[in-house]
Amino acid sequence: MEDAFVHSALPLLAVLLPIVGAGIVPALGRGSERVRHVALLTICSATAVLALWFVPGALAGDVREAYLLRVTPQIWLHLRVDALGVLFGATVAVLWLIVLIYSIPFMTDSHRLRRFYSFLMLCLGCMMGVAYAGNLLTFLIFYELFSILTYPLIVHEETPAALAAGTKYIVYILIGGSLVLVGVVFTFFIAGEQTLAAGGVLSSDMDGGALRAIFWCFIAGFGVKAALVPLHGWVPDAHPAAPAPFSAILSGVMVAAGTFGIARVVFQVFGVEVLSQLGVMPYVAALAALTVLFAAVLAVNQDGIKRRLAYSTISQMGYVTLGISLLGPGAAVGALVHITNHAFMKGALFLCAGLLSKHAGIRNVSEISGAARRMPWTMAMFSIASLGMIGTPPLAGFIGKWYLGLGILDAGRPFYLIVLLGGSLIAAVYLLPIIYRAYFGQPPSASARCPDEREAPTSVLAPALITTLLTIVLGLAATVPGSPLSLAQQAVDSFFR
Amino acid sequence: MLAVTATTMLGAAALVPLVASNPRVGAEIPVMIGRLTFIADPFGMVFALFSTFVWFCATLYSLDYLSHHERHDLYHCTSLVVLGSMLGVVLAGDLVTLYLFFEALGLVAFLFVIHTRTAEASRASVTYLWMTVLGGFALIGGIFLTHALGGDVSLAPIPLHDSPELLRWTTFALFVLGFGVKAGMVPVHVWLPDAHPVAPASASALLSGVMIKAGAYGIFRTVSALFRPEVVTDVSEQLWRAAAGFGLAVLWLGIATMAIGVVLALGQHEAKRMLAYHSVSQMGFILVGIGAAGYIGPEGAMGTAGGLFHAVNHALFKSALFLGVGAVIYRTGQGDMYRLGGLWRRMPWTFAFMLVAAAGITGVPLFNGFVSKCLIHHALEQAYDVQRLASLDIAEKIYVATCGGTACSFIKLIGLVFLGKPEHEYGPEVTDPPPRMLAALALLAAAIVALGVRPGLLLNGVFEPGLRAWALPTQRIAYYLDVYFLSPADLMSVVVAFAIGATVYVVGMRFSLFHIHAPAWVGVGYWYHASARGFLACSAWVGDSYDAYLEAVSRFLRNTLIGARSMWRMIERDIDHLAVIVATGMPGIKGRHFVRTAHAALDKEREATVRYAVTKAHAWLQSREDFDARRSHDTLEAVRDIAAYMTRRQHGQRTRTLAEMVRSGEAEAARRAFEHVMHEIRAYRSGVAHTAIELAEQRMSGLDVIDQISEAAERLSREEGFDRRLRTPLEHERPTRVALHDSLGADAERVTDTVGRWRARWFGHAERAVRRSIEITRLVVESATEEHSRWAIPQQVDPRTVLKMRRRIQRYARDTSLGVAAIVLFFLVVVVSVLVGSVR
Repeated sequence: MEDAFVHSALPLLAVLLPIVGAGIVPALGRGSERVRHVALLTICSATAVLALWFVPGALAGDVREAYLLRVTPQIWLHLRVDALGVLFGATVAVLWLIVLIYSIPFMTDSHRLRRFYSFLMLCLGCMMGVAYAGNLLTFLIFYELFSILTYPLIVHEETPAALAAGTKYIVYILIGGSLVLVGVVFTFFIAGEQTLAAGGVLSSDMDGGALRAIFWCFIAGFGVKAALVPLHGWVPDAHPAAPAPFSAILSGVMVAAGTFGIARVVFQVFGVEVLSQLGVMPYVAALAALTVLFAAVLAVNQDGIKRRLAYSTISQMGYVTLGISLLGPGAAVGALVHITNHAFMKGALFLCAGLLSKHAGIRNVSEISGAARRMPWTMAMFSIASLGMIGTPPLAGFIGKWYLGLGILDAGRPFYLIVLLGGSLIAAVYLLPIIYRAYFGQPPSASARCPDEREAPTSVLAPALITTLLTIVLGLAATVPGSPLSLAQQAVDSFFR
Repeated sequence: MLAVTATTMLGAAALVPLVASNPRVGAEIPVMIGRLTFIADPFGMVFALFSTFVWFCATLYSLDYLSHHERHDLYHCTSLVVLGSMLGVVLAGDLVTLYLFFEALGLVAFLFVIHTRTAEASRASVTYLWMTVLGGFALIGGIFLTHALGGDVSLAPIPLHDSPELLRWTTFALFVLGFGVKAGMVPVHVWLPDAHPVAPASASALLSGVMIKAGAYGIFRTVSALFRPEVVTDVSEQLWRAAAGFGLAVLWLGIATMAIGVVLALGQHEAKRMLAYHSVSQMGFILVGIGAAGYIGPEGAMGTAGGLFHAVNHALFKSALFLGVGAVIYRTGQGDMYRLGGLWRRMPWTFAFMLVAAAGITGVPLFNGFVSKCLIHHALEQAYDVQRLASLDIAEKIYVATCGGTACSFIKLIGLVFLGKPEHEYGPEVTDPPPRMLAALALLAAAIVALGVRPGLLLNGVFEPGLRAWALPTQRIAYYLDVYFLSPADLMSVVVAFAIGATVYVVGMRFSLFHIHAPAWVGVGYWYHASARGFLACSAWVGDSYDAYLEAVSRFLRNTLIGARSMWRMIERDIDHLAVIVATGMPGIKGRHFVRTAHAALDKEREATVRYAVTKAHAWLQSREDFDARRSHDTLEAVRDIAAYMTRRQHGQRTRTLAEMVRSGEAEAARRAFEHVMHEIRAYRSGVAHTAIELAEQRMSGLDVIDQISEAAERLSREEGFDRRLRTPLEHERPTRVALHDSLGADAERVTDTVGRWRARWFGHAERAVRRSIEITRLVVESATEEHSRWAIPQQVDPRTVLKMRRRIQRYARDTSLGVAAIVLFFLVVVVSVLVGSVR
C-alpha cells in the first residue's frame, strides 16, 4: 500500500502559530493581562485543534507534507505529518493547552510572566516542528531550538538552585545536541538528505562501522534528552527547579522528545531490518532495562515529591526505550502509546504536586501526612494518576505496559518481563507510601500548619482534573479509533510492513 | 444499602435459570484492550450466588452494628464497590477482565482493613497492601506468560504441548501465587490473620467469608480451566501427567495451609483472630479438593465438587461465626475468649446460631461442612489410589488430624465463650443483639442446615452440569450421593475427628499448651518484613553510594578547574613579568631578580589584601545581629569582587610605578626602598577592606556602585603614593642618575667576579648583543605604548565609559565569533553537500 501524499500548509501553520504568538504576546501583555491570556489560550487551542485535526487523516494512512525551504538541491527543510508525528504532536499540543490553562491562575504572582509565556509558546512551536519534521535536518533544527529555548523556563524562578540546575541542563543538552549533530552530518555524508519514512534512510550494504558510529551518536545524543541512565543527570535537578506547570511539560513531553527521536532514528533512519542485521539493539535494551530499575530504586529514597516524580519519569521513559529497542511490533506499539499515556499521567502528578506546594506548602513526602483531609480533590487526582503510573487496570498506564509485556514475549526475551514488572512494583513502592501518608498519616500539629491550607481554587483544579480524566479515559477507551493506541498501531504497521 | 444488595442477590439468582438452559451466558463491554467479557457458567454462578447472599446478610447485620461507628457511609460505599468487583471476578470471561476486578477488589478492600484507623489497623493494612500489590504483580506476570505459552487470554485450556517445562511451571507458580495471596495460602497468608480481625465484624465476615474466595476461585480456574488438557481433542498420557503435577502441587500447598492454619489457630486468645486463622486453614481444605481433582484428572469430579462445595460452605459458616463473635463483642466489648464465659444464658439465640455454624465448620453430619469435608476426604483417598504415592497417604493422615484440630478449636470457642463460668458479672446490656443482626445470623444458619440436609441441591444442580459442560465425567458425584453420603464410614471419620479434637482440648487446657508461642523468626511474616526492610535499606544504599559517586566526580572536576586556574595565573604572571622586562629593557641579573621578586611580592600583597577584606567582612557579618547564612554568603561574594577589582587597579598602579623607576635607572634605589615600602603599604589593606565592605553593603541593597568603586580605588592609590614612598629614601642619598647600559654593565662585572672571567667574557658578549637588540625592541615598544596610552589614558576618561566600552567590545567579539562560527558551519554543510552531490 502506498501512502497518499497530500501537500498542505496546515503543518506549517501548526508550527508557526505558536511562534508568531510568542512574538505578539509580550506586546499584548503591556496593556492588560486579560488580553494576553485570551490571546495565549486562542493560539494554544488553535494549535491543539490543528494537531487533533490530523488524526483522522493519519488513521487513514494519509501523509501531509509541506516543503519549507530548499537551500541547495541536496538540502531542504520539510514538514511531514505521519502517524507517529501526529501521535506525538497531538500529545504535545493537548498537554500544552492543559498546562497553559493551569499556569494562568497558578503563575499570577510570579515575576517576568511575559518572558515565561513567550518562551512557552516558542517551545510549543518548536516541539510541533520536532513532531512534524520530515527530514533529519528539520528535525535537528527544531530539536536544538526547543532544547535551548527551554533554558529560560527552567531557570524561571532565578533562585541559585534553579540557575545551577539550568546550567547543568544546558551543559548536558548541548553535549547531547552536538552528538545528534554529528550523527546527522554523518548520515548526510553517507546517504544524502532524504525524507524520513518507514524503511529507513540507511541501508545495510553501507559500511557497518560507519552505521554503528552513527547509531551510537544518535543514541547518546537523544539518550541525554530521554534520560537513559548514565546520561540522566540533568533530570532530577531540572524538574524540582522549574515552575510546576513547566515541570509537567518537561516530564511529559520534553523527556519524551528524546525517546521520540530514538523512535525516529530506529524506525525511519535505520529501519528495522538494518538494525536487526547490525545487532546493536540488545545493548540499547540492556541500557533501557538498567534505566528502568536504577532510576526506580533511586526514586524510593527521594524525599522531595517533584524529585521523586522526576526519577519516576526517567524510569518510565526507560520503558519506552526498551519497547523501541526490542524491534517487535507489539513492543513498539506499547512504547509509543506509553509516551502519550505517560505524558498525561505524569502531567497530572506534577500539576497536583504544584498545587500541594503552592496551596499547602508541601514539597516533601515527609510533610504530606494528612494532606488528603485538607486537599481532598488534589490528593484524589494524585492517587488516580499514581495508580495509573503503577499500571493498575483500567487506567492509562496499563495499556502501554500490557502491549509492552506481550511484545517482550513475542520478541522472545522473557527476562525483560521481570524488568517490566519489577519497575512497576518499585513504582508502587515509591508512589503508594505518598498516598498512604496523605490519607492515613497523622496530620502535623496545629502550630506547624501554614495559615491558608485549603483546597486549591477550581481554576487550577480543573486542568489537573482534565489530565486525570484523560488518564482514565485513555485506559478505558484504548481501542476506540483515534485513540493513541490506534495511532501507534497505524505508525508501527507502516514500520513493520 | 439493603435494597441494593437484595437486588444484586436477586440478579445473581436470576442467573440460575439462564445458566441452567445455557451453561455459558456471556456479555461484552467494549472498553480497555478490546473488550471486557463476562461469562456466567455454573461455577461462576454459584460463587456469585453465595457472595450476594452473604453480602446481603452482612449488610443487614451492619446496619445496627455500625450505627454507633464513625464513617459508616464510607463503609457502605466500600462495601458496594467491593461487591461489584467480587462479582466481576467470578463472572469474568477472560483473564484481563478477571485481573482488572481482582486488583480492584484487593485495593478497595484495603479500606475495610484500615476502617477503624487504629495503630493495629494501620499496621495490618500496610502488610495487606503490599501483599495484595505483590499478588497482583505475580498474577499479571502469569497472564503475560500465558501469552508466551501460546494461549489467548480467555479462560480456556492453554495449549501445553510444545512449551518448555520451566515456562509452564513458572506461569503456573505465578498464577497460584497471585491468587494464593488473596486466598490466604501458606506461605503467603501472613496478611490475613492481621487484616481480618481489625476490620469491623461485618467487614471481617465479608473479607473472610467472601473475598478470599476470589483467590480460591482463581486457583480453581487455574487448575481446572487453564492448566487442563483439552479433554475432547486429545487425552494424551503425557499432558495429563503435566496437569497432574500441577494438581499435586496445589494439593500439597493445601495440606500445608490447613495444617499450619489450624496449629496457629489453636494458640490464639482473641476470637476473631482465631477465626481468621481458621479461614487460612479452611482455604487449605478447598485447595486440597481442587488439587486432588487436578491430580486425578478426568475422574476428579469429587475433588472439584468437594473443593467448591467447601468454598460455599466456608462462606456461610465463617461469616456466621464472625457475625456471631461480632455480636458478642457488640454487647460485651470483649473479644478475648479467655475472659468470656457463660453467655448462653444471656444470648441464647446467638448461642444457637453459633452452635449451628460451629457444627458446620467442624463437619457434624447433617450440617454443610460434613458433606464437603467427606467429599474432599474421598477425593484424597481416590488420589492415593491413582499411583499409590506414600506421600498422599501421609497427606490423608494430616487431613484427619486437621479435622481434629478444627473440632478442638471450636469446642474451645463455644466452651470458653458461651459455656463455662464468666470472669465477672455482665451488666444488663448483655443480651441478644437487635433483631436485624439476629435475622442475618438466622438466614446464614438456615442456609447451613439446608445445604447439610440437601447437598444434592448444589451437587446435582450446579457442579454436575458445570463439569458436563467441560465434557468431564460426573458419575463420581452421583456415586457419592448414593453410596457415601451419611454412610457409616463417613460418620466414623467424624467421630474420630471429634475424639482427636476433644483429646487435644483436654490435654491442651490441662497443660496450657495453647499459650506456647514460637519465636518470631519461625514465621514467614518475619522474613517478609525483613526482606522488605532489606529492600529499602538496599535502595537507600544504592541512592547514597550514587550520591557519593556524583559528589566525587564533581569534586574532581572542581579540583581540576582550580588547578587549571592557578596554572593559568602562573602563566599570566610570567607573561606579565616578561612584558615588564620587554618594556623596561633587560636589567642586570640583580635588577632582573629584583623585578621578579618585586612582582611576586606585589601579587602576593594583592591576594593578601583581598583575603584580608573577605576575612574582615566575614567577621563583621558574624557579629551582626540579623545574621542570615544565604544573604551573608552573597555579601561576601560581593566584597570579594569589589576588593579584587580595587586591588587589581592598585596592583597595576604599583607595577607601573616600579617599571617606570627601573626604566629610568632608579632600580637600585627602588630595590633598597622596596622592603620597607612593602611593609608600610600593608596598612592600606584595611582601607580597601573598609571600602569594599561599605560598597558591598550598598550593592546588596541594589545600588549601582561602579563609580564609587573606581573613585575609591583612585583615592586609595593617591593616599598610598607608592611612587612617592619608593622615591623617598632618595632624598638623602640621591645617587647620580646613571645611564641604563652603565648600570647593566656594572651588574655584569659583578657577575664576572663570581663565575669566572672567561665565562663572563662570553656572557658579556652575548649579553651585550641581547641588550642591544632588546634596547631596540624596548624603544619600539615604548613608542608604541606611549602612542597607545596617549590615546586612552584612564585618568582622563570617565571610568564608567571605559567599563561600558569594554563590555560592549566583549559582547561584540562574542557575537562576531558566534556569527563566524555559524557561517563556518553553514559553509561546511554546503561544501559537504556539494561534495556529496558531485560524488553522486
